[in-house]
Amino acid sequence: MPQVRIIAKNFMDMVASLPAMKLDNLYSNAFICEAILRSLPPLAKKYVLQMLCIDGPISAKSMQEWVLADGASKHKVAVDRLLQLRIFTETVDRKRETSYRLNPVFQSNLQKLLVSGEVLPGEPLPSSITARLPSLEELDVFAIEQWECFMLQLINSSQAERPSNISSSTMKVFQRGLLTQRDKEAPRLTESGFQFLDRGVDPADLISFLLELSFHVTGEAYNISSLTDIQRETIKDLADLGLVKLQQGRKESWFIPSKLATNLSMSLTDSSSRKQGFVVVETNFRMYAYSTSKLHCEILRLFSRIEYQLPNLIVAAITKESLYNAFENGITAEQIISFLQQNAHPRVAERIPSVPENVTDQMRLWEADLNRVEMIPAHCYDEFPSREVFEGACEFAREGNGFLWEDSKKMRLIVKAEIHKNMREYLSRSK
Amino acid sequence: MVNATKGLCITCDIPMAQFIINMNNSLPASQKFIIHVLDSTHLFVQPNAAEMIRGAIAEFRDRNSYEKPA
Repeated sequence: MPQVRIIAKNFMDMVASLPAMKLDNLYSNAFICEAILRSLPPLAKKYVLQMLCIDGPISAKSMQEWVLADGASKHKVAVDRLLQLRIFTETVDRKRETSYRLNPVFQSNLQKLLVSGEVLPGEPLPSSITARLPSLEELDVFAIEQWECFMLQLINSSQAERPSNISSSTMKVFQRGLLTQRDKEAPRLTESGFQFLDRGVDPADLISFLLELSFHVTGEAYNISSLTDIQRETIKDLADLGLVKLQQGRKESWFIPSKLATNLSMSLTDSSSRKQGFVVVETNFRMYAYSTSKLHCEILRLFSRIEYQLPNLIVAAITKESLYNAFENGITAEQIISFLQQNAHPRVAERIPSVPENVTDQMRLWEADLNRVEMIPAHCYDEFPSREVFEGACEFAREGNGFLWEDSKKMRLIVKAEIHKNMREYLSRSK
Repeated sequence: MVNATKGLCITCDIPMAQFIINMNNSLPASQKFIIHVLDSTHLFVQPNAAEMIRGAIAEFRDRNSYEKPA
């Protein structure tokens, strides 16, 4: 059984957390196999490629010898991830030896890929029909605009300039999913963001469509009639989110995938999509955010007091009151600190730590100040007839995990309210 | 016969415990809520006092706050 639990923080992790049957169905699509291969940790990729042409199982012991001693933990993580994705199947034979072999469907798809080279899912339309293709920059601007408008709607529905076309039911689903997690990430489709897709459409189909989409070339137009009906329905929602741009010509209509879509199947080791940070936090609790985006302003407003908004700069102050507001809304100090660290301006990003220690420590202290007192519903037992009954009751409470306090001199015992019933029975039994 | 009393077990730091005991002593006898003082960091109080204690702590916390006029 894999012992490493993958916390789904991005799209590929969500794919990995699907149940076994769905995963097996997904592997019949060659693009999904390739996308998953790209998302594996480097050691796992190496193992898959090594096992690609071997048909029989390989014993776990000999695989262990492929790494040096100090790579043992990376080896374990890689193998567990492969097991969880059902790329490796584990068999234990009669001599109690485990061996692994590659999932046959996965294996044949990858072999075909190696032999026949990469085949794009669809052919881009010739430019005679698609007269006005947006340039890559225009496409990026469009994608970011759509995504920000959407995020803004979620955070503060009174501030969005343009009413979004996303139906209100999808917005509600999104709000439930995102607001309970308080994810503060900008354009990267997170796992919670995908819960809206499970709206009566089979998630496996959607995942294969999204992964196929990610293999298209950014900026090229593809004919809409090449999509199935289900895919056509979802493409409209994807356009609202900024993943694709829809355009119509005289006879045909087409969609153009943006960078957000093609980044879905990005390799783990490729971090070229790191956005530029924009926040500088000073030791006097002042924050300077070099940004013009309304979304950033709203995010900062969640936990700090915005003092000035200039054409290219937002000046804010982190105060106790603003932080208390954030804590009441369910945001933790850790989330705020990691947001500030991830979006640190390049000028301060090299400094270690990028957010001053006094600011982070004070935020954690303020958070702890809210939880100074802990209250547990409990019952107090006293006037025990004898010391033996008292000791026995203490033992019973300790075993039942409900022990809170005992005072041997006064023979008083305090126990959690949950096991009060059991205590009563025990005491009436021991009379 | 063993006596069972229903209540709330409070765990906190020493200044908070003193604050709660002080609050208890300032109330008239009919409203006192502390049943036992277990030690300097634990108290056993009546169950309906939870909200009152939380409110008093929040008010005490806010007494030190200054909000700059917007």
